[in-house]
Amino acid sequence: MRLEGFPQNVVLHDGTAVAIKPLDAEEASAVLKFYRSLPEEDRLFLRDDVTKPEWLRRFVARIESGEIVSLVAEAGGKIVGEGTLYRAQHGWTKHVAELRIAVAPTLRRGGLGSTLARELVKIATRTGVEKMVIQVVENQVGARKMFRKLGFRQEAVLRGHVKDIHGSKRDLIVAANDISHIWDAMESLVSDFSPSLE
Amino acid sequence: MDKTEIRVGGLGGQGVILCGMIIGKAASIFDGKHATLIQAFGPEARGSACSAQVTVADEAIGYPYVKNPDVLIVMSPDAYTQFAPQLKPGGMLLYEKELIALDDKLPAGVKAYGIPATRFAEELGRRLVLNIVMTGFFTGVTGVVSFDAVEKAVKSSVPKGTEDLNLRAFRKGYEFGRDQVAVGK
Repeated sequence: MRLEGFPQNVVLHDGTAVAIKPLDAEEASAVLKFYRSLPEEDRLFLRDDVTKPEWLRRFVARIESGEIVSLVAEAGGKIVGEGTLYRAQHGWTKHVAELRIAVAPTLRRGGLGSTLARELVKIATRTGVEKMVIQVVENQVGARKMFRKLGFRQEAVLRGHVKDIHGSKRDLIVAANDISHIWDAMESLVSDFSPSLE
Repeated sequence: MDKTEIRVGGLGGQGVILCGMIIGKAASIFDGKHATLIQAFGPEARGSACSAQVTVADEAIGYPYVKNPDVLIVMSPDAYTQFAPQLKPGGMLLYEKELIALDDKLPAGVKAYGIPATRFAEELGRRLVLNIVMTGFFTGVTGVVSFDAVEKAVKSSVPKGTEDLNLRAFRKGYEFGRDQVAVGK
């Protein structure tokens, strides 16, 4: 899928200038470098081993097939954040997309995660996605707050579902954002219906 | 007085009234002109004929009804059959070219410009934005209202969260319209 309107230049709360753009397959190795730079504890909460070249090859292939959309944030010539939208290409959850966001520790709480998430929600909205889901671990307080601000609401808690770096079990929270109502409003606007009084 | 009378016709659910409303809003609020809008609905909400009559002028408008428009925008075959014969001779027809087949009932000298607006809307991600593609097409072909004014009118008329796609739909129609004028068809 060709994404228009990028790159987008944004300034974070601390004044850092960041460019948001779709991941270019030719520059994909920079993503590997970014994920390898994340603390091990952060990477543990990711579903895949994002430090391996095999993961990157699969990731790029999925972008090219349209299964996922990846936006990267670039500052000072390196990637400082990555957001991915995952969507099933067929089946009963075709209308649902999952959002995953990773931001460099030094730039957290500066608005970069919300910027990436907001752009991906926009992309999802215009491609027919009706519901978005995220998964966060209970102690990811900043991420939970950010997604709450973006309209995500807790729908399920999987008790003791993940183990952190110290071997402690933690709850995994599944939150969702029903974005179908946005287009309900548009549908109502174009219905060209004038209610008549009887 | 410089005055343009416009009729928009189509089916309920195609956003005919919103198309007319955006043109009028762009002219009156953002271009500093005068505009009126009259809307007519069919007996049902969806699938029946509906139309909007818009007048844009540089002075106050005394009579808002449009009988013989200078410009006709049609999005359905029924609307074309019903309204095309009423176009002013030498007027302009803007039509959804994959839904409507032209015939010999057009008044003399009418210039017709077609656009596959439904397909464009679907390619952009939502069939619902067909009317906004047509609004962009109208803006690009006629120049009755300015690009900036219509862009602002679209942005301020559509539901929050849908602005991005609606603006892309507007630009798609506008650019296609400019291209059609450039090649003279």
